[in-house]
Amino acid sequence: MNRGSEIKLLLLAWVFLASGAAAGHLWRGGDLRTAFIGAVAPALAFLLVAIMWHFFKFRADQFMLPLVAMLSYTGLVFLYRLHPDYAYRQFIWLLAGLLLLFLTTRLFTDYRRLSEYKYVYGLLGALALIVPIFFGIEQGGARSWLDFKLFHLQPSEFVKILVVLFLASFMSENRLLLTRGTESVLGLAMPGPGVWAPLLGMWGVSLILLVFQRDLGTALIYYGAFLAMVYVATARMAYIALGLGLFTAGGALGYVFFEHVRQRVGIWLLSPYEFVVLGEKEYDQAYQIIQSLFAIGAGGLTGAGLGAGYPGFIPAVHTDFIFAAVTEEIGLMGGLGIISLYMILVYRGFKVALEAGDDFLKLLASGLTALMGLQAFIIVAGVTKLLPLTGVTLPFISYGGSSLVANFIIIGMLMNISHGARSHGR
Amino acid sequence: MDGNIRKLGYFFIALFGVLALYLGYLNAVLGPGLSTDPRNRRLAAAEEAVIRGTIYDRRGEVLAEDRETGGVRQRVYPLGKATAHVLGFVSPRYGRTGLESALDGHLLALDGAGRIQAFVDRVLGRQRRGYDVWLSIDGRLQERAWKLMDGRAGAVVALDPRTGAVLALVSSPSFDPASVDAVVRTEAGVQNGKRVEYNITGHDVLKAQTGAAPLLNRAARGIYTPGSVFKIITGAGLLESGPQNYGRIYQCNGGITVEGFELKDFGVHGKIGFNDAVALSCNAAFAGMGLELGGEGLKKAAASFGFQLLEYDRYGRYGGYPVTGGEVPFNPGIMPSNRMDGPELASTAIGQGRVLVSPMQMALLAAGVANGGVVMKPLVIDRVVARNGMMLKRMAPEELYKAVSPETARALTAALEEAVKRGTGTLAALPGTRVAGKTGSAQNPHGRTHAWFVGFAPAAGPRIAVAVVLENAGPGAGLAAPLAGELFREYLK
Repeated sequence: MNRGSEIKLLLLAWVFLASGAAAGHLWRGGDLRTAFIGAVAPALAFLLVAIMWHFFKFRADQFMLPLVAMLSYTGLVFLYRLHPDYAYRQFIWLLAGLLLLFLTTRLFTDYRRLSEYKYVYGLLGALALIVPIFFGIEQGGARSWLDFKLFHLQPSEFVKILVVLFLASFMSENRLLLTRGTESVLGLAMPGPGVWAPLLGMWGVSLILLVFQRDLGTALIYYGAFLAMVYVATARMAYIALGLGLFTAGGALGYVFFEHVRQRVGIWLLSPYEFVVLGEKEYDQAYQIIQSLFAIGAGGLTGAGLGAGYPGFIPAVHTDFIFAAVTEEIGLMGGLGIISLYMILVYRGFKVALEAGDDFLKLLASGLTALMGLQAFIIVAGVTKLLPLTGVTLPFISYGGSSLVANFIIIGMLMNISHGARSHGR
Repeated sequence: MDGNIRKLGYFFIALFGVLALYLGYLNAVLGPGLSTDPRNRRLAAAEEAVIRGTIYDRRGEVLAEDRETGGVRQRVYPLGKATAHVLGFVSPRYGRTGLESALDGHLLALDGAGRIQAFVDRVLGRQRRGYDVWLSIDGRLQERAWKLMDGRAGAVVALDPRTGAVLALVSSPSFDPASVDAVVRTEAGVQNGKRVEYNITGHDVLKAQTGAAPLLNRAARGIYTPGSVFKIITGAGLLESGPQNYGRIYQCNGGITVEGFELKDFGVHGKIGFNDAVALSCNAAFAGMGLELGGEGLKKAAASFGFQLLEYDRYGRYGGYPVTGGEVPFNPGIMPSNRMDGPELASTAIGQGRVLVSPMQMALLAAGVANGGVVMKPLVIDRVVARNGMMLKRMAPEELYKAVSPETARALTAALEEAVKRGTGTLAALPGTRVAGKTGSAQNPHGRTHAWFVGFAPAAGPRIAVAVVLENAGPGAGLAAPLAGELFREYLK
């Protein structure tokens, strides 16, 4: 069978969803039919996509969809536990995401032609980022949402795909120039301005926009993915060092000029042993992260059990802080499980990049994988206080339609690249 | 390019590896500290899920229970101020005090069986309940003592001398344990340039009263000069050093002069025996006994009742004050450990000098004499019972000290009986019951003397021993003795 492993793994993931739904129903009570639909419908939707792929002789990686299913099921189960309304809405978004995933793999396959329109999506991306500054609404401190009445859309979640597309096509075209360099700046061989100006221009624009939207986490992800792609294209550590230097300088400027950046860093530097002695004001500022640490600490090895913890104490627990809720209720084992799923997903993503047929596709796959991996790392590191907190969603688990759909499109694009490499042979 | 992708892949996997290790550290190393952080609301929330067990007195009267009023569960104390110090309070802000704190494990059923029950209850959707605790406290006696004190500062301790069961433990002034969290008023203040309103709670108000100290449990943790009630110990020391001393005759000329220090008496008692010396509370006779016993002898006598020696010069008057742990932690009596000169020895022998006691210590003294010289450990928990009737703990009386021999105890009892029959303690007398006791009027720097009475009844087969202290209430014979008499009447009726 063409997609046998995928379907078998999806059936295994179904067991996870079904037990999660059963536990959720036992704990919350309520309508048995709703719980039954929750236990069955998402799994059927995933299986349907796999079966359709089977009939269309789709040959892409067979591990990505089951990994995404596990993450999405975790999200649904915990959103149901936190607030059933979130789970219902997330379920609708999940169906939309799966549809777009399928459409991506059917319609959006010829990237080579797409790469010719790189300035078009460069402009489109910039436009999509500018719009929320003037017409957007603020949520969670970031002014990055568009209000469509029925739902809110966060353009930056989709623009990140356009940015990676643009960078991949630009870098693959100018790769030799970028690697060798034609001019010497401060003893460092640099390519001519014609080569790197559009690149940095694009980057400056998106970063400045993100600063205006005050969406630090997304800016960090853009920048990280950019550096990752530069490294893949050139392997020149000097560029990476330069990039990190610029990042440090930017961070320092942000620290000096922005109160909220200073606050985040100050909170990050707190010792967990000091919470007791914090004054009311500092405590209120660090409230969210302290509550998150309390939740993670309360989990122990196996967790309090679904419904037996108190994740409700954490503000914004259903979006940015869902990882803390998961670790409180399914413990260290659950938390490590989630981290492992992302680790494997990132591993499969880079494997796709290795299989890919040409430089453009390699760069594209690496960039998309880096986007997803960085986003997962940054938010988990943020809620555990390993890094300063920058609010982004946890891919596939957090509540949020834009993020979920965008990540499904990313998975679709990666699978397209994988399919292309496997069907043409190498 | 493939090499670069591979290296980038390793880097990402390493990132997640670091994250996994850090999560393990957070969970296993920092986790325990985080879960007991006072700002973590999880413990309080877990407690809210459990109905705290009820505390009963020895007759089954409710002393503390959770009651639902208008959908809000509250801890209710039917005896209010009378039991405030012994029971303590439960507050989400100020934690728990008194027995509410000491019995937490039982009242919330936090033992192994309780945890299993908690799991079963959760699966079956049943309300969790803690264990009920039955105290040895006699609610009626407790309330009577509180009323008799009539708002005067002081303390009453009553024990069953045979078992050490604490029958009453009252401290005054007191507070309403149900109102510590209530916001009494708000005060405006300035913080970081902004105007803010502070809520002042009942607890804040109580804490601010440093003079009256209504939160202090005087019965167990108050420290007083004992005055003449200490003469029981001096007498005990003398009788222990030689039974023949019981028959001695002392000469009282209205006072005694030791190395130029003059100790006055309330009268010229002339030639008197041991019983008379106790009954009339003769200072000259007891100062003489103290001088005869010497510093070491007096310390030994006090230590046999649980007193501790303290290096006063090193710790100051109150610093480093020892605490005897147990169900009701209390301050033992203390004496200076350094050498006492003649004048100090003479004053110490009559309970002045630098000797200090808690009411609990003096109740143990009375109980020890009443119980044939054996001091029993004070116990306040009679039994702990689960909802299903299973007995989880039962009081087991325990000997604390063999203070004096049965002969000495008999002789002391006879002398204390004389004191109530015809001496200073006549107002403690009870018709038809033989009462034994000793008054004390402790001179102190805060005004009138503290009024003391320690004693027990019935003298032939003691069932209750008490210590009463009323701060600055004058001589013990006046107010403390009749209060004790009322307690005997209440308990023995």
